[in-house]
Amino acid sequence: MANLVHIPEQKEVARKTPIEIFPDPKIAVVLTNQQSGATNVPLVKVGDVVSIGQKIADVQAKVSAPVHSPISGTVIKIDNVYNSCFEYPTEAIYIENDGKKTKAKPLNTIKESELASTKNEELLKIIREAGIVGMGGAGFPTSVKLAVPADKPIKHLLVNGAEGEPYDTADERVMIERTANLVRGVRVVRKLLGNPKVIVVTKESKVEAVPKLQEAFKNEPDTEVRATHLTYQQGDAGMMQKAILGYEPIAGKRSYEMGTIVQNVATINAIANAVFDGEPLISRVAALNGDIPTPKNLMVKIGTPISEILKANSITDCGSVVVGGMMMGVQLATLDAPVTKRTSSILCLNKAHAKARKPTACIHCGRCVSACPIRLQPVAIYNAVIKGDFKKAEKLWAQDCIMCGTCSYVCPANLPLASNVKMARNSQ
Amino acid sequence: MFPKKFNKPPLKDNTSFEKVKLMSENSNELVVNPAPHIHGPMTKNRMMQYTFFAILSTLIVSMVLWSQVTTPSGWNLGLTLAICTVISVGLAVAFDFLIGKVASDSEVNTWSAAVFGLIVTGCYTLGFPSMAIGAEMGVPVEAPLAFYYVAIITVLGLVVFKKVMGLAGRKFVNPAAAAKFLVLLPGTAVTLLTSWHSITGMLSVPSLNGPIGLTTIVGSNGGGAGYPAFGGYLQSCYQLPTSMDIGTPESITQIMLLTKYHGWTGGACSIAVIIAGTALFILGRKYFKWRITASFLVSTAVLSLILSVAFGDADLIARLLFELFIGSSIFMAFFMATDPATTPYSGVGQIIFGVGLAVLTVIIQTFMGFFGGSLLALLIMNLLTPAIDKIRINKPFGR
Repeated sequence: MANLVHIPEQKEVARKTPIEIFPDPKIAVVLTNQQSGATNVPLVKVGDVVSIGQKIADVQAKVSAPVHSPISGTVIKIDNVYNSCFEYPTEAIYIENDGKKTKAKPLNTIKESELASTKNEELLKIIREAGIVGMGGAGFPTSVKLAVPADKPIKHLLVNGAEGEPYDTADERVMIERTANLVRGVRVVRKLLGNPKVIVVTKESKVEAVPKLQEAFKNEPDTEVRATHLTYQQGDAGMMQKAILGYEPIAGKRSYEMGTIVQNVATINAIANAVFDGEPLISRVAALNGDIPTPKNLMVKIGTPISEILKANSITDCGSVVVGGMMMGVQLATLDAPVTKRTSSILCLNKAHAKARKPTACIHCGRCVSACPIRLQPVAIYNAVIKGDFKKAEKLWAQDCIMCGTCSYVCPANLPLASNVKMARNSQ
Repeated sequence: MFPKKFNKPPLKDNTSFEKVKLMSENSNELVVNPAPHIHGPMTKNRMMQYTFFAILSTLIVSMVLWSQVTTPSGWNLGLTLAICTVISVGLAVAFDFLIGKVASDSEVNTWSAAVFGLIVTGCYTLGFPSMAIGAEMGVPVEAPLAFYYVAIITVLGLVVFKKVMGLAGRKFVNPAAAAKFLVLLPGTAVTLLTSWHSITGMLSVPSLNGPIGLTTIVGSNGGGAGYPAFGGYLQSCYQLPTSMDIGTPESITQIMLLTKYHGWTGGACSIAVIIAGTALFILGRKYFKWRITASFLVSTAVLSLILSVAFGDADLIARLLFELFIGSSIFMAFFMATDPATTPYSGVGQIIFGVGLAVLTVIIQTFMGFFGGSLLALLIMNLLTPAIDKIRINKPFGR
């Protein structure tokens, strides 16, 4: 695909920095909703004592995932705080750390030797109860995604280790340091999907991860590690299917209908932890990068306020903080916002870089049209949206946008193309 | 990876976004913009700078080549061109700045205005075939009359076609082309229609609408369709006025490729235009609409070869050279037809645009006896651009 735009990776230092365990926060701010799907309600009230891994919010619904306490302590308040998943404030449970590290009863686990004889329902139940969602950024409950109807055979499982977002290195470090765990996780997912062919997709630029993966997956049945040249846009599930398997998934269909499931490495890591070790999803690896002298990869508890992470790393002069990637992430309105299950990176921009780029008039150069990886016409959709003509935007297939942000990245007039197309897409 | 809808959980109370922002002690300085948060290296200004220096280099080549010519009114042609360039660029930048001062919502875009100024000069016709016509008919092909006309075209184009048309949301026609056409319409009728070229009786002016040969030498009389002396015409109009070469295929090839005297100022040296234009397309890869240039040149070549065969020309070269490398065609193909604002944005649209432009140019020059018809063709294709933009051949991913 010659028309894909190359975006500099900016990962030289961070990709060589080992994962560092970040200390537990004094007050954890656990958002009750970090998944897409049904809305969770708190299961605890102010004054309750909770322990590590205790379920503190859940709802009985098909598409849902519970939330667990990352620390042990007392619930001090339940209040709204800025949620980077939805870009506005939602309910959060504030837990004050008592330092005792008491653990709740772990989830049901299975032994690795028993995996083949375990029922799929049982595995899916463990994954749901562990609160696992898509950790690449979408936050779709994994138990729902992996519950594939029996009449839809899955031919391929793509393990997404592309991590195309510039600056992000969390997945890369997981692939380097948790390789054995990934192998265990892939076995679980493969079992759930009825033994499809597994392709571990990664970029050839991840020079440290590629040999480790090749070594670890060497003896797995029907498994291949493919390290190819992928651009940023090919980290998207649909684009990856085109790049690796050569077909374009039909728009608007669930991924299993094409016979392929694409699963992010961070999610697979969490699945292995849940199924074999009984750990719910209470911590994740997040890259700390951007305009800072020492980039890091932090194993951080979900619910840690961003301000605490910045303070601990003596980062003071931030013009803005981006979570979830420079291209698709969100600039935080407040540093009180906590780490969520989807926070793959925390990126600080200095004041000069954070300054808003002033949009100017469109010069009709057509660069966005040639750059769009899914062949939309961003400028046409943009013109429809600023006129309020959402019907026209729909005719121009705005709803297919994958929100990669490439159109805004290349626009010489600095137009906010991506955000306007996203507006049209979310209005459908 | 990307679910179709995020189900947003409801707010617990009516806490607004702003209120939460104020509640936080850390928030007062944070910048919040929509994604993406990084930007590629290319900006409008940089595009315009590249274009400016590309056109400027071709004009400098023209100035150097033309400095050998002295027009009947006693001006050095190279110097005339240099003064025209200064006038058009200076006026364009000054008026752009003034309008920006007066109308607060108008963008001051110095580089864009400077490029506009260069294009006005680049598409101006200085020392048109047989400057004697200019002297006799009062046509502004020479200094000092040319200076006033360049100034008028610059101001009219910048104010009316660039700024006022910009208010309508987009430009419909190339500002420089439209302004030149409007100002020179009376003069154009006199100088560009081929039948007028023989008015002084010293030119043999053939029509392209008939067989073309390279056999006749300069100075022989004649005219009208079918006259096989096109080579002689090219020789007399486009070579250094003092030289007395005989119209051979070699000398005509050299004229058309290396040094044309008279005609569009920007296209004096076809090779220079091709080099500068190609360098521009390579430097600003994917930002400039090179497909228009490529498809225009290819279709023009194909069409002229077809016409050559159809009319039974003496050889295939003369017509091809004229259609491809005459000053108006070559300069327009690289620097005017690729103007981003007035051309289609999709790759397929750009190819359609280039082919359409070639067809119109060849038709106008061949059957209407109107040399330099590429300008008219460009205006017509510009107006068709919104329609071409609606053509959609490749569907989105997975549709």
